[in-house]
Amino acid sequence: MAVHVLETDGQVCPFPIVEAKEAIALLDLGDELVINFDCTQATDALPRWAAEEGYPVTNFDRVGDAAWTITVQKA
Amino acid sequence: MLLTGLGLGIALGFAMQRGRFCVTGAFRDLWVTGNTRWITAFLIVIAVQSVGVFTLDAVGVISLSSSAFPWLATVLGAFLFGFAIVLAGGCATGTYYRAGEGLVGSWLALIFYALFSAISKTGVLATGVSGLRSVTVEAATVHGLFGVSPWLLIAVLASAVGLLVRHHLRKRPGARLATLPPRKRGIAHLLFEKQWGAFTTALVIAALAILAWPLSWATGREAGLGITGPSSNIVNYLVSGDAEVIDWGVYLVIGILTGAFIAAKGSGEFRIRIPDAITTVRSIAGGALMGIGASLAGGCTIGNAMVNTASFELQGWVAFGFMILGTGAATRLFITGPSKARSARNAAAAGSPSQATAPGPSAARASVRR
Repeated sequence: MAVHVLETDGQVCPFPIVEAKEAIALLDLGDELVINFDCTQATDALPRWAAEEGYPVTNFDRVGDAAWTITVQKA
Repeated sequence: MLLTGLGLGIALGFAMQRGRFCVTGAFRDLWVTGNTRWITAFLIVIAVQSVGVFTLDAVGVISLSSSAFPWLATVLGAFLFGFAIVLAGGCATGTYYRAGEGLVGSWLALIFYALFSAISKTGVLATGVSGLRSVTVEAATVHGLFGVSPWLLIAVLASAVGLLVRHHLRKRPGARLATLPPRKRGIAHLLFEKQWGAFTTALVIAALAILAWPLSWATGREAGLGITGPSSNIVNYLVSGDAEVIDWGVYLVIGILTGAFIAAKGSGEFRIRIPDAITTVRSIAGGALMGIGASLAGGCTIGNAMVNTASFELQGWVAFGFMILGTGAATRLFITGPSKARSARNAAAAGSPSQATAPGPSAARASVRR
């Protein structure tokens, strides 16, 4: 199982989710994608996308003011 | 009395920031993912508000009037506005509330939006804008056009929205939605941390949109929520010093900025964020085109697509449709288009022999910044 990191800080929505989709498409099953982001709307959009795709979220937390990280596992 | 505008604006800015209510996102999702959750929330606001507006009209608190429909300027302006909000990363209210979150790109979009609204409404472009807006058809409202009661339209709209809401509530994902770990308790948790649902947020915004009508009316500004006119008024006040232009709407938009700042600061979501070069240019261009587009169309996503639709004005519904088309065009050009180039880059990066193995959180791929 590999862990891949996608940095999207500084990108406004919808780019974090657009890039997350592209990135996860290239991963193997079971791999984890860490998405770091600072677009507020993505705190709604990313976990919902993961739930709708059936990808488990293994970590979702704040890393500072207006900065978040979410880890999605490809399943 | 003007201060009610400030209070309502603060509540609205607060609700939009905490509820992550983004009209641009709602329109854009239709083209990027085909997701209708946020457009459903937006339609809830229109439907609920229309019940309130026509009730207020029936009991005589307000009296709705309408004028001939400037179809040409509405079509052109709404398409332009829909295109511009993708560039700016937010519609007029979205830009106000993101400015309150500390996004410098939104500050720039806001400044150019207000400036170009004033230029289009009272400045050098005013002749052209009013010329285009003088191309009208006699019909003014949807119920007038079809010769039916507005209540029939409200019933149709409410039923359609009800079906959409049911569809979304039923397809709730099976997997539990991940939420941020709570760090606050009690009232602080409720106000500054708890995640709002899209439809709950829509109901709060609808209530505020209804309340805006009598509060604004009481000050002599005979309209509901509006963003473009007030933004233009602020510029006119700043450059002319004429305090006459300060109306309820000016207090409203200042309130939105303030409310969003309070919400963002209180929930640890305020940070000054500097955009990169491309985002900076897009924010400025988007803001300027938004100002021209909204002035041509007679309103932004709020004034036209959310408020004039609730009173079933043709201008509102036609603008709503063409804003979505404009958003689609810009999405093709700037989001789904360039992403193809990004995909290629991502594929190249992922294909490089840097596959990290567990358990270390090694980066398998260089960070990609637009």
